[in-house]
Amino acid sequence: MKIIKTLLLAVLIAAGGLIAFVYSGSYPMGADVPHTKFTHWLLETLRDRSIDKAASQIAMPALDDPELLLSGGPDYNEMCTGCHLKPGKDESDFTLGLYPTPPNLTDKAGDPRRQFWVIKHGIKASGMPAWGPTHDDQRIWAMVAFLQKLPELTPQQYQIITARDEEDSGHHH
Amino acid sequence: MKTFNKLLIAVTLIAASGAQAHDPSMHKEKAEKADCAAMKGMDHSKMDANDPVMQAMMKKCAEQMQHGEHAGHGEHAGHGEGHDHGAAQEPQEK
Repeated sequence: MKIIKTLLLAVLIAAGGLIAFVYSGSYPMGADVPHTKFTHWLLETLRDRSIDKAASQIAMPALDDPELLLSGGPDYNEMCTGCHLKPGKDESDFTLGLYPTPPNLTDKAGDPRRQFWVIKHGIKASGMPAWGPTHDDQRIWAMVAFLQKLPELTPQQYQIITARDEEDSGHHH
Repeated sequence: MKTFNKLLIAVTLIAASGAQAHDPSMHKEKAEKADCAAMKGMDHSKMDANDPVMQAMMKKCAEQMQHGEHAGHGEHAGHGEGHDHGAAQEPQEK
């Protein structure tokens, strides 16, 4: 009984300390000051586990249709390169200033289901918006199809596939 | 009733502007043409005709060429009457 009381007291003191710390305003919230290792681990794990769980239920269509690349490429070029870069570009104001740093999507192809979920729903407190309210699933899958090929594109290939010609309405379906 | 009409117009305008916000045609201001001339400098022996990237590039450049032909025909012979669209979409280079 004494052990339980001691444990309860310890939990109460810890909870009180945590609340006091939150209200103290002493945690640095500037994007130019990295999280502590513990906070970083906590937030990354929370994010990755949540996305893994949600994305695992998504049914993935075939992504090897060139029409998807021609539809998703221009969208990526216009909406995503500021943060996620393109062939021949290693950094931008956003990659240098945002925290957490946005992933360089020209490095390697990620899991397509995760990419679909992240594009559609966004990520809280990261700068990644939810595109779902303004883009239908088909259009998001087209971007995912493009992302799967992005790491292997040369700057010339990228320019051709992402160009949105004057006559091009953007809908290649 | 007048107030209701004004409200209806306002809501319709707001809804319409929201629907257009992500219309690809809104991006035309910064649209640039595909640099298909760059394809000539690429190593064609390493290209796989079954690769979706290659197919996409060929389709893009074929479309661009088709639009160019249409513009040319438009000046001299109307809007492409009797023009073989299927043939025009064939990749130009393999």
